[in-house]
Amino acid sequence: MAEWFDLLQKSIWCGVAAVGFGILFNVPRRTLWAIALLGLAGGVTKFTVLLYGNGIIIASLLASIIVGFLSIPAAHRKHSPPMIFAIPSVIPMVPGAFAYRTMLGLINLTGNVTSETYSTLMQETVNNGLKTLFVLMSLAVGVFFPMLISRRETFKQIRTKGDEPKQKQE
Amino acid sequence: MEKEKVKISALGKVLLETGALLMSSGANTNRIRLTVNRIASAFHYDAELLVTHRALMLSLADERKDKFYSSLKRTSPHGVNFRLVSGISHMSWKIVEEGWTIDQIQTELDRLKELPHYPRLVILTFVSLAGASFCHLFGGAYVDMAITFVATFAGLFVRQQATKMRFNPYLCIFFASLVSTMLSGLAVKYGFGENPEAAFSTSVLYLVPGVPLINSFTDLLDGNIMNGMVRGANGLIITLSIALGLLVSLFIYQI
Repeated sequence: MAEWFDLLQKSIWCGVAAVGFGILFNVPRRTLWAIALLGLAGGVTKFTVLLYGNGIIIASLLASIIVGFLSIPAAHRKHSPPMIFAIPSVIPMVPGAFAYRTMLGLINLTGNVTSETYSTLMQETVNNGLKTLFVLMSLAVGVFFPMLISRRETFKQIRTKGDEPKQKQE
Repeated sequence: MEKEKVKISALGKVLLETGALLMSSGANTNRIRLTVNRIASAFHYDAELLVTHRALMLSLADERKDKFYSSLKRTSPHGVNFRLVSGISHMSWKIVEEGWTIDQIQTELDRLKELPHYPRLVILTFVSLAGASFCHLFGGAYVDMAITFVATFAGLFVRQQATKMRFNPYLCIFFASLVSTMLSGLAVKYGFGENPEAAFSTSVLYLVPGVPLINSFTDLLDGNIMNGMVRGANGLIITLSIALGLLVSLFIYQI
């Protein structure tokens, strides 16, 4: 129970961070609540997937896919493009800690390294760097995912034709 | 005949301005192309557009292909502004549905450009709060969150000030990163707080180039490889500027 409470608490902070970035990117005021909820939903998904022992990359991918899909109804309701909701909401998932450790590792690698410390240092740096890269890629792909599978260029078309956002051509 | 000529050039100018505004406020390439084409087709013109990071090229033709207009426009310096993106998207649909005139579009563009940003204190407070949330997510306690809050607040203030003084944008980010890490580095140096490393590493996260990097990947996936690479390179230079600020702080404090 305690871990679920912790998860919820972390997700709420994700929502707060999403609103902060929304304000930095100057989103319309009417969209701020939706961005907070989307950030929260992304956080809940990410930490739940992590709780079941999965890696950070798959957790970020699933969370950003959820955010991507939720941004479509939000866009219809608040009359703004989906990216305005999706981008601030996934930014709390940017792997800052891994990026920092990669940077620190690179700096240490430029210093005096002996052959004993080199392999551990190199291993950690490459590991952190690859995690950073793949998490960033999965965030971008996740946000873009609804566009990719619906094969539509704009989500406004969906409403004018009056069918469901997730409907695929099959 | 003369009237037609005036109309096509007026439309061309409006379209280029729309595209340039979208580019500098952080829309991806596909959105720019779609918006411009949508407005052009509402006036029964064919628009072909070349989108690059720093300039747009438009070629406009009427349906019988006997009138052409072609022009270039530089985009203004980039600064993410989603209020403008949202407003232009909204406008483009109204143009189609309500049959706006070119003058109406120009008036609306002028209005959208003048839309206010959030008050400076609100921006500073909420972005600092976002920094504090990051600190919590990376395992910081309340003391560490307070340190990140202060470091982010000061760093963002410096960045805004440097941008106002028209420094090179990457240099602005370097200054901000330096100020933030100098402040949070104090906590690491003197062992203040429960997890000062968390405060130190999260105090620069508000500078992370999220929009350029995400737009870079969406452009690449759309097949706009050139623009995707340009945006990616831009994001990379921003990241390097952040790292440089961090490095200088690490060097000064000898952590």
